[in-house]
Amino acid sequence: MIGNHHQQSDPRRSERERRYKAPAVSQVNPGDDMTPDYTNILGMIFSMCGLMMRLKWCAWVALYCSCISFANSKVNDDTKQILSSFMLSISAVVMSYLQNPQPMTPPWSSVFG
Amino acid sequence: MRIWLVLLLVGLAGTQIWASSFREEAEDNEFAEFEDFEDEDAAGASASHDRAPVPSPSSEQPKPSAPDVKPVHDEVDDEDEGDAITEDEEDNEFEHFQDEEEFEGFDNERVVNNDKVDDKEMPKITITKVPLHLRTNWDSFYMEMLMIAGLTVYFVNFFTGRSKNQRIANAWFSTHRQILEENFTLVGDDGKMEIETPGLIKDSEHMYTLWCSGRLCCEGMLVELKLLKRQDLVAVFAQLVRPSLDQVQIRVDMTREDMDSYVFCVATKKTGLRLSKEMQDLSTFCPERKTGDKFGVPSNMCLMSEMGEASSALLDSKVIAMLNKYQDVVEFIHFSDQYSGPKQTEDSTLVKLPEVKRVLIFCFNIPMLKNKGLEESLDHMLPLMHMVFYLIDKVKRFRLGKEGKQKADKNRARVEEAFLKTTHAARAEAAAARREEKRRQEKERIMQEEDPEKQRRWEEKDMKRQMKKKAPKMKQLKVKAL
Repeated sequence: MIGNHHQQSDPRRSERERRYKAPAVSQVNPGDDMTPDYTNILGMIFSMCGLMMRLKWCAWVALYCSCISFANSKVNDDTKQILSSFMLSISAVVMSYLQNPQPMTPPWSSVFG
Repeated sequence: MRIWLVLLLVGLAGTQIWASSFREEAEDNEFAEFEDFEDEDAAGASASHDRAPVPSPSSEQPKPSAPDVKPVHDEVDDEDEGDAITEDEEDNEFEHFQDEEEFEGFDNERVVNNDKVDDKEMPKITITKVPLHLRTNWDSFYMEMLMIAGLTVYFVNFFTGRSKNQRIANAWFSTHRQILEENFTLVGDDGKMEIETPGLIKDSEHMYTLWCSGRLCCEGMLVELKLLKRQDLVAVFAQLVRPSLDQVQIRVDMTREDMDSYVFCVATKKTGLRLSKEMQDLSTFCPERKTGDKFGVPSNMCLMSEMGEASSALLDSKVIAMLNKYQDVVEFIHFSDQYSGPKQTEDSTLVKLPEVKRVLIFCFNIPMLKNKGLEESLDHMLPLMHMVFYLIDKVKRFRLGKEGKQKADKNRARVEEAFLKTTHAARAEAAAARREEKRRQEKERIMQEEDPEKQRRWEEKDMKRQMKKKAPKMKQLKVKAL
């Protein structure tokens, strides 16, 4: 029905061709998905907590945050940022277990235990 | 997909419960281990009890050197047999040790011995306490195991979700390729100088874009496949709580002369509410949401239109038939000559109106038909692509009447005027800053020229100018004073 209309004449016009312009990366649009940025920052905070306060669960949460940030990141995004957040969180985990090789006490164990 | 994820979740929860019960057991076991140590401690304590009374009899008994024998023996006993010997036997058997002359200065030695005993006692205590972690077996690391298991599951889901999204995108492209190539000379552009990879561009794991160009009356068409975040386990769980669908958003950039000035939107009720709040053009030109009963728009949709004329022309019988047939698939259709994207955040002070484009935006849900494959589901929505091209041509042909055109122009002028009013202060400030900057530059230029006469003249002129600026204010003051 609707499709028949187009067979009558070729709507293609090569002289009207415009090249694709990718939207500016630096510009932050309100509709953008901010998940990778938020998780990245969260991951930073948690790995800092893990490193400074020797909270093992913080270090693990930081690792998860950087995974989420990685999964949601755009292809054009800076890979260095993701790599550094991974490095930071992994080093938080490693350092906390080097300092104190005991198993982790979950944060709720101090509340209930 | 969902089902196995739910199963996985249940499995994870199960392991945690199992692990926590196991931990309790482990804790019990640990206490059992402690019991052993308590036994040892008890033995140690009994030994120390034997030792402890050592000083007391020496002080109580009239002969101070009499019990001196004991510590020596006790030590020997501790090391050899670990058994205590009763005092009575000792006293009888080793009476000759009570000879004072035999043990001159032995008391001093005994003190030293006592210290030695303390030294020996110390390491015993520390040994029992320090190597706690050596005894903890792998079971006590259940939280760590859970964490690693979670990470593995996350990455497994990442790869499966990613490949599924890839599959959907490729299937969409393969089903729509023919119609796109019939309408555009350029299908798929990666934005590089030489097009290296024609076809879909992956923006992220759940976003694919396709640029088409080279068609009558439009500059280009950007197709965005907004798929679910199947690669992110957190989003997958969020999806279980708040289900949503894969979407295809098509934005057609119209050429200026091929679209008249009107803002028009048909959307599902929920999306309509969101759009009328978020979109700059909809919120300024047609904030009112109406039901489209008059035109035969399905009841789950609402209509926002600046011009009644435009809506009656655009919603012709063919389009209405499509809307009714695909009422679950069509999310919104938004035509605007004033499109500037979502509203800017309020803190950003704008001095001029945002640039506007003439666009047609279509958003369709990709329905996952039950008992049918992916290809069939996508084939099912192919007629909607025909509708897009139909509407492009329709928009090109449609012109507002004389009255309508006037009304539209008036609306735009009114919006612009209102905008200028709100930003008057900001613009005045900007102009003052510009003037000041100009004056400063001029002064600098004059000062660089080494001509005192010129400088003097310029300063005089500047002074006069400043006086002139202040003068009317002075007059006003005078009037007020009178």
